[in-house]
Amino acid sequence: MKNKSVLHCISSLLIIFLLSPAILTAQSYTVKGIVKDAAGSGIASVSINVKGKSAGTTSIADGSFSLQVSGPKAVLEFSSVGFKNKSVVLNAEENIVVVLQESSSQLGEVVVTGYGTQKKSNLTGAVASIGNKDFKDQPVSNLAGSIQGKLSGINVTSPSGTPGAGLLVSIRGAQNPLYVVDGIPMISESNSSLSTSFNTSGEETGQGQNISSIADINPNDIESIEILKDASSAAIYGSRASNGVVLVTTKKGKAGKTQIGFNMYSGFQKVAKKIDFLNANQFVDFINEARSNDQKLYNADNNIFGPGFDASVLTDPLNYSAGNVNTVWLDQIFRTAPVNNYEMNVKGGNEKTKFYISGGYFDQQGIVIENYFKRMNARINIDHTVTDRFTIGTNMSISKTQNRRSFNDDTYSGIVTNAIGASPLMPVYDAAGNYSKFEEYQVSWLSDNPVKSAHEIVGTTDSYRLLGSVFGEYKITNSLKFKTSWSADYVALTDKLFLSPITTDGAPIGGRATKANFNSQTWLNENILSFQKSYGKNNISALAGFTQQGTTSDRNATSGQGFPLGSDLSDVSVAAIITRTPVAPGGNNRLHSYLARVTYDYDGKYLASVAIRADGSSRFPTGKQYGYFPSFSAGWNINREKFMENSKTLTALKLRASYGFTGDQEIGDYQNKPLWQPAIYNGQSGLKPKLITDPNLTWQKNKGFNIGIDFEFWNGIISGSSDYFVNTRTDLLNYVPIAGTTGFATLLTNGGEVEDKGFEFNVTTRNISNTHFKWTTNFNITFQKNRLLKTPVDNQLLSSFNDLNPTHILKVGQPIGSFWGVKYTGVNPQTGDATFEDLDKNGTVDADDAQILGKARPDFYGGLTNTFRFNNFDMMIAAQFSSGNKVYNLIRPVYENLGYGNDGGLDQVYANNSVNSLKRWQNPGDVTDVPRASFITKNYIENSSMFVEDASFFRIRTVNIGYTFSKKSIKFLTGLHVYAQVQNLFVFTKYKGFDPEVSSNGGNIDRTAGVDYAAYPPARTFTFGFNLNL
Amino acid sequence: MKRFIKNIFSICAAGTLLFSCQKLDVNSPTDVATEQVFKDANGLRSALIGLYSNLQQREYYGAYYPLMADLNSDICTAGGYDIPALNEIGAHAITSSNLYVERMYLAMYKCIANANAILASVDGISDPNLSAEEKSSIKGQALAIRGMVHFDALRMFGYHWDNTSANGVPIVLTVQQAADVVTRSTVAESYTAILKDLNDANALLSGATVDAKYSNQLFVKGLLARVYLYKKDYTIAADFATSVINDGTFSLLNTEDFITIYSGRLSSESIFELSFDAQNQSVFNGTTYVRTDALRTEVFFLASQQLSDFFNARPTDKRAELVDFVNNDAGILPDGRTLKYRGEVTKDNPAYILRIAEMYLIAAEAKKLTGGGLTFLNTLRKNRGMDDLTGTDVPDATSFTNAILDEREAELNFEGHRFFDLARFQKIEEVLGVANTNSVFPIPLREITATRDQLTQNPGF
Repeated sequence: MKNKSVLHCISSLLIIFLLSPAILTAQSYTVKGIVKDAAGSGIASVSINVKGKSAGTTSIADGSFSLQVSGPKAVLEFSSVGFKNKSVVLNAEENIVVVLQESSSQLGEVVVTGYGTQKKSNLTGAVASIGNKDFKDQPVSNLAGSIQGKLSGINVTSPSGTPGAGLLVSIRGAQNPLYVVDGIPMISESNSSLSTSFNTSGEETGQGQNISSIADINPNDIESIEILKDASSAAIYGSRASNGVVLVTTKKGKAGKTQIGFNMYSGFQKVAKKIDFLNANQFVDFINEARSNDQKLYNADNNIFGPGFDASVLTDPLNYSAGNVNTVWLDQIFRTAPVNNYEMNVKGGNEKTKFYISGGYFDQQGIVIENYFKRMNARINIDHTVTDRFTIGTNMSISKTQNRRSFNDDTYSGIVTNAIGASPLMPVYDAAGNYSKFEEYQVSWLSDNPVKSAHEIVGTTDSYRLLGSVFGEYKITNSLKFKTSWSADYVALTDKLFLSPITTDGAPIGGRATKANFNSQTWLNENILSFQKSYGKNNISALAGFTQQGTTSDRNATSGQGFPLGSDLSDVSVAAIITRTPVAPGGNNRLHSYLARVTYDYDGKYLASVAIRADGSSRFPTGKQYGYFPSFSAGWNINREKFMENSKTLTALKLRASYGFTGDQEIGDYQNKPLWQPAIYNGQSGLKPKLITDPNLTWQKNKGFNIGIDFEFWNGIISGSSDYFVNTRTDLLNYVPIAGTTGFATLLTNGGEVEDKGFEFNVTTRNISNTHFKWTTNFNITFQKNRLLKTPVDNQLLSSFNDLNPTHILKVGQPIGSFWGVKYTGVNPQTGDATFEDLDKNGTVDADDAQILGKARPDFYGGLTNTFRFNNFDMMIAAQFSSGNKVYNLIRPVYENLGYGNDGGLDQVYANNSVNSLKRWQNPGDVTDVPRASFITKNYIENSSMFVEDASFFRIRTVNIGYTFSKKSIKFLTGLHVYAQVQNLFVFTKYKGFDPEVSSNGGNIDRTAGVDYAAYPPARTFTFGFNLNL
Repeated sequence: MKRFIKNIFSICAAGTLLFSCQKLDVNSPTDVATEQVFKDANGLRSALIGLYSNLQQREYYGAYYPLMADLNSDICTAGGYDIPALNEIGAHAITSSNLYVERMYLAMYKCIANANAILASVDGISDPNLSAEEKSSIKGQALAIRGMVHFDALRMFGYHWDNTSANGVPIVLTVQQAADVVTRSTVAESYTAILKDLNDANALLSGATVDAKYSNQLFVKGLLARVYLYKKDYTIAADFATSVINDGTFSLLNTEDFITIYSGRLSSESIFELSFDAQNQSVFNGTTYVRTDALRTEVFFLASQQLSDFFNARPTDKRAELVDFVNNDAGILPDGRTLKYRGEVTKDNPAYILRIAEMYLIAAEAKKLTGGGLTFLNTLRKNRGMDDLTGTDVPDATSFTNAILDEREAELNFEGHRFFDLARFQKIEEVLGVANTNSVFPIPLREITATRDQLTQNPGF
C-alpha cells in the first residue's frame, strides 16, 4: 500500500513537471522599482500585486522590487502593514518610485486564513489575528500563553503553574482548538502516559497534571497567530474545526542583506501568592480549643458523640507541644527559580531563495523544588523559486523537551497538597539529618514528607519532535496554481517515574519504577488547486483540493519493583520484579477530505464566500464515515459606497454575517466496532469484552452563526469590531451512561446539544501619536453564555476525582460544568455550628439536599493592553479579567478542617489550618462565617457552597519597559533593544486559593472543570532581556 | 484553453489516484473484534479466561466486594484520607450516588455479560478440537460463575432474606445490546434463576477435575449450600454442605497451621480461591495493610474496635492472631488491621471465595441445634483452638443462632460475610444501630438515571 502511494506521488509530480514548459506565455516585461515611506527610507516586505492577476512579489530590505507585468498598462497594487494601500497605473515605465503614506488602519493588513490569505478588509468571517510584536519576549513556554487576554472571544487560562503545563484555550466556549502550524495540523494534547495522580493504594484518582505538546513550538519562531473563531472561517478545516482553529505561521526569510538576530532574557520566578498557615503555637492552641469545645458539649450531653465514645481523647494531654519547631512548609517546597532563554536566528536570501534559520534554548526551573522544563529547538524555513512559475519550499522544526514533573501535581497526594496539610510541629529533617517521618507528627493527610517526595520521587517526560513539510507550487496560468505539500509530525516521548526505596510508597517494595515510551507519526498530503481572477470589478478566487492524513501511534510501559538499596539505580530493567502496567494502547486513524471554496467580491464592496469540506474518518463505522461541512458568509464594506466614501470621520465600516457547519471526530481510535481485549488469569492469556458500540455513531455537527461589524474612525484613531455569535453543537459525541446490566457503563454515541452564544467587542485607540510620544490602548471583552439544550440522560452527576462525591451535574438548561452540592447557610451564632439548607425539609442535610452552586465558566472576560512609546523608551501594560466564574475549592476543607480529626481517639492531629480559621466562631454571639473548631465533629461539608468561591479576577499580566538604542549609538549593530519585564504582577480577586485560574485535572474536561485541589500555583516572573540585530 | 482544461484534468486524475489508495478501515493491534472471538474452541477458551479475569476486577473480587460488605458491618471501620464515599459505607449511611457501590454493581454485571457471551456461543461452536467434556466444563464454569455473580448481586442489592419481596435484582441471561434494560426480578425469581444456573452447572461439571483456582463442582455444591441457606431451604443447604465435607477433597488444616490458608496459597481449605500473582495483583494488601508503619489514611479497611473486643472475649481463639490491634502505628489505634492479606511485596493475595470452614458453619446452621448442628460447629471450633460448646452454653435456638453468628464472625471476617449474615438474621438495627432498610446497599443512582427510572430503588434510599 505504501509503495503504491509513493508511486502515485511521483507520478503526480511528474505530471506537474511535464506541464511546466507548456505554460510560459504572453508578452510581458519586467518593471523594477523602489517603495519608500514619507521620510524617504525604503520599506521592506511590501506586497506588490498586478491588479487582477495572481502575479506578485514583495519588496526586499531596501524597498526595491522587480516584477513581471503582463502588459504596459498594468495596474500595480502596493500594500503593507502600517501603510495605506496604493495603486499605480503603469505607463510602460520600467523603473518607478512609489511613496506609501503611513496608516494606522489595520484593514489593509493581510491575515492568514485556512488554505490562503486574505486582506482584512475582505474578511467575511470572524478571525482574530495577533502578530509577533504583540507577544514576543514573554517568558512562557506555550504559545497560547502569549495571547492571554489579548483577543476577544478567546479565553486562555492557566490551570497549573508547572513549567511546560498545558493551557486551557477556549474559543467562544469550546475547548481544545485545532492547531495548524504552517499548514500542518499538529497534535496538541499531552502525549505523556505518566500518571501523576494516584491514591495510597496505587489507584488512579484523576487525570493529574496536563502537559501540552504545543510547548514543543518555540513562541519566538512565530510570525503571527490567527484564530478562526466562527464556523464559516473554520469550516474549511471541516471535521476538526468544531472548537475553532489556531493558525500559527512561523517566520520566513526575506530577500536582502542577511540579518542575524540574537535574543535573550534571563530572570527569576517566585510564587505569586502563598497561603498563610497557623504557626506552631497558634496550631496547638487551636487543637486545644477544638477539644475544649467538644468537652463542653460532652459534659452537657454524654451521648452527643454516640454510644461508647471514649471521652479521654478530649482530655488526655496531647503528646506534642509547640517546642521550638515551626516549619512553614510552603517555604520548604517553594523556591526562587531562574528562567533563561537564548535564541539566535539568521534570515535572508535573494530573489530566488529565502531562508530563516533559528535555534533556541529555554530553561525554566519550577517554583517547586526539583521541577523544571527545558526546551532545545531548531528551525529551518526555506523558499526557493525554481522558475517563474514553480516554487518549492520547506518548513522544518526539531525540538527536544525535558520535563522534570512535579509529582502528583493537582491531586491530593502531591507535593504542594502535602505541604498544605503538613503540621508546623514537624521539622523537615530529624536530629540525625534524615527526612522526618510524618507518621510521628501527623495522623493523616500526608502521603509523605513533601520535601522528601520532591527529592525522592523522580518523574520525567522527555520528548523529541520533528515537524516538517515540503511543498511545491506551480502556476499553471497566471490565475491558476496548484500546490502540493507533504508533511510529517513525529513524536518520540519517554516517561520515567521512580519512587526511591526510601519513599513511603516505595519502601515496602524496595522502590518502584515505570518507564513508558510513546511514538507517533502523522503524515499529511494536501493538494490544492487555486484560482484567482478579476473580471472588471468582479473579483473571484476559488480553490479546490483533496487532502489525506494518517496517524499511527504506539505506546508501551513497563513497571518494576525492588531496587538495590543504597544505589542510585532507577532503570526499570534493574528491578527485581517486573509488574504489569496497563496503558492506553497506541492508535491508528485516517482522514480523507475534499474541500472547495469560492470567494467573490464586487469592487471590494460586496463580499461573499461559500465553502464546503467533506471528510471521511476511519474513526466511524463503515457507512457513517463521511461528513459534509458547508458554510456561507457575506460582507458589505459600507464605507466604499458613494454616500460614505468621503467621510473623514467614519473611515471604514463593514457588516459581516456568516453561517456554517463544522464537525468533531475527537473520540479516539477504534471506537467504531465492538471489541474484546486481552485478559490474564492464572498466568494464561485470554479475552474479555472491552467495548460496546453504536453502529450509527457519526460526526458531531456544530452550527455557527456570526454577525459582526468592523469600524474605523479617523483612519484608525479608533478602530475595532464587534460580533454576536450563536454556536450550537448538536449530535454531541458523548459517553452516555447505559444500564450496567449490558456489561458496560457507557456508550459512545451522538446525542445532546449545547449552545454557546455571546457578544464580543474589541477596540484599539491611538490616544496620542506624535513623533515623541505614542500611546495605544487595546480593549476587548466577551460576554458568553453556555447552556445544555438536550442530553440523552438528564441530571447526570459527575465527579472530578474518582473517589469524591459528585461535584458537578449535567442538567438541561444549565451550563456545562455546573457545581453540585448542598448550600451553606452560615454559622449559627449561638452554637458555632455550620448550617446548611435542608432542601427537602426532612430534618437531615444529606446528598438529597444538593443543588446547583454555580458554574466554572465566566459571564464575561477580556483584556486591556496599553502601550506607550516615549522617544526611545517603550512600555506595555497588559491586563486580563474574568467575571462570574466560580471555583470549587476542594482543597480548602483540608486546610480549614477546623481541627476535625477524621474520627475520635487520635493522639495526633490531622492537618494544619490556614489563617482564615482565626476568624472562627469562639463564643456564643460571635457572628462569622467560619464555624467553631471541633475535634470530633466535622463542622463542614466538602461538597457544599462553603467551598464554592467567586473566582472573578483582574490580573496585571505583563508590564514591560524597554529602551531602543538609536542607530547612531550602536555602530556595529543594526538594532538593540533592552527591556525589563514582570509577568503576573498582581491579581485582584476574592479567591482564597493560590490563584483563581488554576484548575485541577488540567481543566481539560469542561464537564468537571473548575476544581482546585491545590494545583501547582503560578509564578510571578521578573525578566531582563535584549534583542540584538547584526 | 484546450490545454488548460487538459492540465486540470491530469492534475485531478493524479490527485484522485493518490487519494483512493488509502482505505479508511483501521484495526486495533491490541484488541479483537467481537465477531472474531467465538470462531473456534480457542476463542471460547480465551473468553473463559477472560471471565476469571473479570472476577478479578478491583471492584469485585480484586478486594472491594468482600471488603465493602464488611465495612458496612460492625467488624470494619473506614480508614483512608477522609474519603466521603468510604466513610458513608463505614457509617452504614450509604447514599445512592456512592461511587464505590456504583462501580461494584458495574463490575458484577460485566462478569455476567462475559458469561452470557460464552453461553450464547458455546453450543454453536463445532470444532474437532473441542471435546464434549471440555464443552460441558466451559459451559458449567460459565453457568456457575453467572449464578455466583447474580447471587452476590442479590445479597448486596436485594432483599435476599425475604422470598416474598419484590426487591430482587436484574437477572441477565442473554447478550445485551446497548439500549437494552433489564429490570429487577422479584427475590423468588432471582433465587430461581440463580439456583437453575447452579444446578445446571452441578450437572455439567460432574466428573470434571477439581481445581480450586477455577469454579469446580465442589465449589458449585458449596455455593448451592450457601444459596439454599440464605433462601432458608435448610435441608437442602445441609445436604450440599455435608456432601462437600464428606467428599474429602477439601478439609480443615491442623490447628497449628491453619494460618497457611492466608500465608500460603491454595490450602486444602480453599474450595474456590481466585488467584493473583505479582504481575496481576489484587488490592487486598493495598487496602487492608499497605506497610508495617502505615497510617489510618493509607489503610482503607480497618479492623474495628468491636472485632478487638470480640476476640478479647475469646482468649484461646487462634483466629485472633489474624487481627493486629497492638503493633500498629498510633494513628490507627484504637482500630486494627487484619493480617489475612499480608505480602506487601508481591501483593498477590487471593480472594477466598469459598472455604471448607463455611461448609461446617452452613451445616451447623442448617441442621440447627435440634438436628445435630452443634457437632459441626464444634468441629470447627476445636480446630481453631476453642472449647466445645455444650447444651448449657447454647440451650435454645436463639443462643445457638448467636453462637453461629459469632463463629462466622471469627472465621470469616474480612472475607465479606458479616454484613449479609446480619441482614439474613435482620439484626442490622440491633447491631449497627441503623434502620433495617439499610440491610441492603442502594441501587446505584447511576443505574436509575441510565435506565430512566426503569430500575426501582430499594426502600429507604
